[in-house]
Formats: sequence, C-alpha cells, structure tokens
Amino acid sequence: MASIVLNSVDKIYAGGVKAVNGLNLEIKDGEFMVLVGPSGCGKSTALRMIAGLEDISGGEIVIGDRVVNHLPPKDRDIAMVFQNYALYPHMTVEENLAFGLKLRKMPKSEIQKRVNDAARMLGLEQYLKRKPAALSGGQRQRVAMGRAIVREPQAFLMDEPLSNLDAKLRVSMRASLNQMHERLGVTTVYVTHDQVEAMTLGDRVCVLRDGVLQQVDTPQNLFDNPVNLFVAGFMGSPAMNFAYAELVRDNGGASVAFAGYRLPVPDSTFAEKPGLDRYIGRKIILGIRPSDFEDSGSASGNGAGWARIPVRATVTEELGSEINVLFTIDAPPVEHKDTVAAANDGDDEETSLPLTGDKSLWTARVNARSHVRPGQEIELVVDTHNLHFFDVDSGLSIGHEANIGR
Amino acid sequence: MSTSRHKQSPTSGGPLRSLSLHTIVVITALFVAVPLVYAVLGGFKTTRQLSSNPIGLPDPWMPENYGGILASGPFWRMLWNSTYIAVLTTLVVVAVSALAAFVFARFAFRGREALFTMFAAGLMFPFAVAILPLFVLLRMFGLLDNPLGVILPQAAFGMPMTIIILRGFFRAIPGEIEEAAILDGCTPFGFFWRILLPMARPAIATVSVLAVVNSWNQFMLPLVVFSDDGLFTIPLGVQQFQGQYATDVARVMAYIVVAMLPALGFYAVAERQLVSGLTAGAVKG
Repeated sequence: MASIVLNSVDKIYAGGVKAVNGLNLEIKDGEFMVLVGPSGCGKSTALRMIAGLEDISGGEIVIGDRVVNHLPPKDRDIAMVFQNYALYPHMTVEENLAFGLKLRKMPKSEIQKRVNDAARMLGLEQYLKRKPAALSGGQRQRVAMGRAIVREPQAFLMDEPLSNLDAKLRVSMRASLNQMHERLGVTTVYVTHDQVEAMTLGDRVCVLRDGVLQQVDTPQNLFDNPVNLFVAGFMGSPAMNFAYAELVRDNGGASVAFAGYRLPVPDSTFAEKPGLDRYIGRKIILGIRPSDFEDSGSASGNGAGWARIPVRATVTEELGSEINVLFTIDAPPVEHKDTVAAANDGDDEETSLPLTGDKSLWTARVNARSHVRPGQEIELVVDTHNLHFFDVDSGLSIGHEANIGR
Repeated sequence: MSTSRHKQSPTSGGPLRSLSLHTIVVITALFVAVPLVYAVLGGFKTTRQLSSNPIGLPDPWMPENYGGILASGPFWRMLWNSTYIAVLTTLVVVAVSALAAFVFARFAFRGREALFTMFAAGLMFPFAVAILPLFVLLRMFGLLDNPLGVILPQAAFGMPMTIIILRGFFRAIPGEIEEAAILDGCTPFGFFWRILLPMARPAIATVSVLAVVNSWNQFMLPLVVFSDDGLFTIPLGVQQFQGQYATDVARVMAYIVVAMLPALGFYAVAERQLVSGLTAGAVKG
C-alpha cells in the first residue's frame, strides 16, 4: 500500500487541448479517493496518467516514495478496473485471475492460493471454470475486481467500474466495494461522473472541472460547504436551488431578500462565514438545498431559525419516503457559467418546464406525510442555518475558508 | 375477421417473395451442383459412354476409373506434395501477415497508412503478369525444382488479402483489453501472442482456409517452377493425365473428383472455426 501524490500535473493533448491543468492532489495511504466531475473534466485522464497509460505533460506523480513519471505501467505496482471489464474472453475466470500473476513468474501454489482467496471473497468459486461469455454483467464485474485483488497492488485504480450495471446491481456492488475497501484497506482511486457514487464511496471526493481541481474534501463537507457555485450545483440530487438575492440588515437583524421573500440570516452564519458582512447591501447568489426545506404542516422544526415561505407546487415527484416539490419563484434563473456547467451533466431527473418570463424553478424535498398535490398551495419552512451565499461575479462561496483572500 | 388475410408477419412479405427467394437459391445451387454431379457420374462411365450418353446415369457403372487412380503411386505422391506445400504456405503467410497486421492495427507511426496502402495495392497485381520476372528471380536464387520456389511466392501473393482481413479483426478488439494486459505485465509481443491471436482465432481460421484453398488450386506457379514430376502437385497431375489419356475423358473426371475431396474435407472441418464470436464476453455485451 502506498500514498499517491500528484504535483501540479498537466496533460496537454496534441492540438493543445489541456485535459488536466496543474492538478495537485494527495491521496493518503489506504484512502478511498473519488474523482468526480462532468464528462470531459479530465478525471479519467488523471487516472490513466497515474496508471501510466497516458504520458504526463508536466508535473510529477509519486506512488509510495517513487516518482513514476517514466515508469512503465507494469512496474508501477497498481491494478486497474475498467468500465467495460476488459476480461480476456478466451480464458476461463480462473485463467483471467491468474494471468497477471503468471506473467510475474509467481510460484504456482501461491497463484492458486491467491486466486482461491479472491474467488471466495467475491463469491466466484463456482464460476472459476467458466468463460466470461457465460457470466452475467455483475459476475464479469466481480471477475474484473478479482483480477485487481489477486495482484495485491499498492493501489487500485477504477474507471467508472459500475456504470455498465443496472441500477439495482449498482447499489449492491457499491456496498460490496465499500466492504472490500474496508477489508483490504488498499489505496483506491475511483473515477465516476455519478455524484451519488462519489458521496457514498469516497473517504474524500475530488471535484474536477475542465481539468482544474475545484475542491477536495469529505463527502459531507462537500455537501455542506461547497467552495463555489459549480461544486454546489454538481453535488447533491436534486441540485441546489439558486436565486439572485440581496443581503440587507435593518433593526430586525440581517436578512436575505429574493423574489418577494425575506429570510432572516442568523448571527451564527455571519460568524461562520467571515467576510459575509461586507456583502450587506449588495447583490449575491443565494443557494438553498432542497433537503433544507420542509412542509410546515408536517415539520417538527418550528424552532428558531426556520423561516416560512408560502408557495404553489407546480409539479410533485413522489419517491415513497419523500416528495420532491417543484415550484416557481418570481426571480430570473441564475445563469452563471458555473451553474450551467454543473447542471449540464447533473442527473437527468430534473424536470425542465418551459418557464415564462422571469421565473425560475426550485425544488424542495419534503416528507411524504405532506401529501402535497400539484397546484396546491403549500407553506414551506426553510432551515436558515444552512443558507449558502455566493459571489455574483466569481461564483465563489462567500466565507469559505479556501476562498478567503481570493 | 375480414382483415385477417392482410395480417402477414412484417418480415415475410408474402408467399410470392419467399418463392422468388427460393428460386434464386435453387438456381445458384444448380450452378454449383450440376457440374459436380456431372463429374462424379462421368467418373463412373467409360469415355465411349460419355459420348453416346452424356446426360444419363452410367450403364453399366464403371468403378475402375476411381480404383485405378487411388491405386496409382504418382497420385498419392502428388497429394502429399500439394498438402505440405499448402500447409507450409499457410504457416508462412499467416505468421508473417498476423505480425504485420498487428503493427498496422495497434501502433500509430508516421507513414502507417501509406505503407498499408502499399500492401493493399498488392491485391491488384495479377499473378500471371508477375510470372516471368518471378521465374527469373527464382532461377537466380536456385529455387527452381524446389518446393520453396512455390511456397514463398504463394505466401507473398497471399499477404495483402490476409493483412487486410486480420487488421480489421485486430482493430475490433477493444483498447481496454490491451491496456488491461499491459497493466498485467504484458509486453506488446506478449499481448499479441497471448491475447490477440487467441481472440482472433476465427479470423486466423478464415485466412488459413483461404490460403490453403488458394495453394491447393494453384496451377501456373508449380507448372513453371517444377520440371521434375516427383515434385508435381495435384493440379499439375490433372494436366498430366490429360496428356497421357487424351482420349480417356472419364478418367480425368474421376481424377478431378478425387483431387477435390481433400480440400472439401478440410473445409468441412475448418468451417466450424469460422462461425464464432470474436470478442464474446470480453466487454459488456
């Protein structure tokens, strides 16, 4: 096992396209690091550079204590799992697993032992004599994992390994991946475009955009304290709601005004976000997570810090345990380059309604007990402790520790 | 229902269409089968029967033609010559072409397409035109009356087609498999030998069959190269019989039929290799 360090790594393709731009990333020993971002953000390129399948145009990659820039892939002591499995179709499962070990001239008894161990761990024992063509998608995926496991490498590299599986299988494979990492404790770099996978799997998650690192943090921190509009819009499903708003302070305390609503801003927020008070009287972008809404009728949160806003539900999506309430507010949609980029490759589950005039569509996630129907008036409460504020020009989160001084 | 007679399955297109399809198949089959049947039956006749009764069944049946050929020593020697020339030609052409196709398919280098076009242009070079310079060249190298004098030119002329077919197959194998092999510790040649060739087995079988059949039917080159009749191949033997038994057409027919059998048998065995998926199970299906 080893740490992986990327020092201002660049990748410039022929033709001058910069796929990865000055990437600095430290993956600790035994850590599960997820690289996430919309397609074309350079996450796969970064992974392939660690694997040695792509040349490094600039910077330095260190695995363990070796600079591997010019080391061929087979000498980097890493194993990779591919999106489309890449099994050898003419070999049985057993031969597939043993292939890499055989090439490394490992004694037969050791190969047999490792193959059997991996097969037991992955539940592949009864399939060892079969060829990949006779396996289901999930089983093939497990063989691909097994091929990585038997090598007992310094690190696993995984390039969207679950994206070819159907939704249900993906969830169960996600759980077994988590379990496997717990058990083996091998440093893992995992690439995905699916932010749910990123949130559930990663010890830490690294959000990339156009080859530039946006934020590296634990999933919860990414969700609670996104560094800019892009991360805020990309992480979380349904996506965060945005609106242009004005921060004001009068004798009733500070509040944020948008679309005819006025939400109080607690003093603790100003303490948490240094520099926010400089924006008083100025235009900002307000962000509210759908999960920070609740139906006032079914909500217990009537305490301090919950503000009420009455809305009319346009569309409701019932998910069983929750209802997504889509409603329009009287404010122009935020068209910052960051939010557009994030929405482009987010999940498709957002319904896009033709909006007339200066209205934007917001989503609130409320408890299923609410029983709200489309067209109904509903009073929502908002947890004002979790409001997000962004600079209108730069799109940076106001008061985020990484942005102070920027 | 009154509309039921219009309910045809959308692909069948009515009895008329299926009839015409059958007609085409039957006519095509007749084109192939009639000369064959004529040759087989002709082998059982005497030459006199052939001229008096060319169409009908033999009367009486004369198995002597076949028996005589199978009992003759020169026939078996020619069969052996044809076989090992075909096998060696195939080995050379497939081995060399596979390596070349691998390079053309999986490596990017300057001038690759130009070089490939040059190979492909070999397809357009008629064998008959090459025969005179080839003869001079073979004489220079002392390869006349030597099996290699047939094997090497045949392999060379077989290469363009073989390379074109194999390159297509090799290209179709997903890049991830190569990358997985590289990460597993394969060298480029290791990938070629352990992964690509086994995966391309149907393609290898296809080009091998082509090479064997081509070599088996080759007439002109052995005719020019061999003057020692101990080296003669089967097609040359036909000509010899023809000269020797100019009046005995029936025996020539029997010879043709017998000479065809090994190639037919080989094809029947090899054909199974041709029909199987190239990358079944390698990637998401």
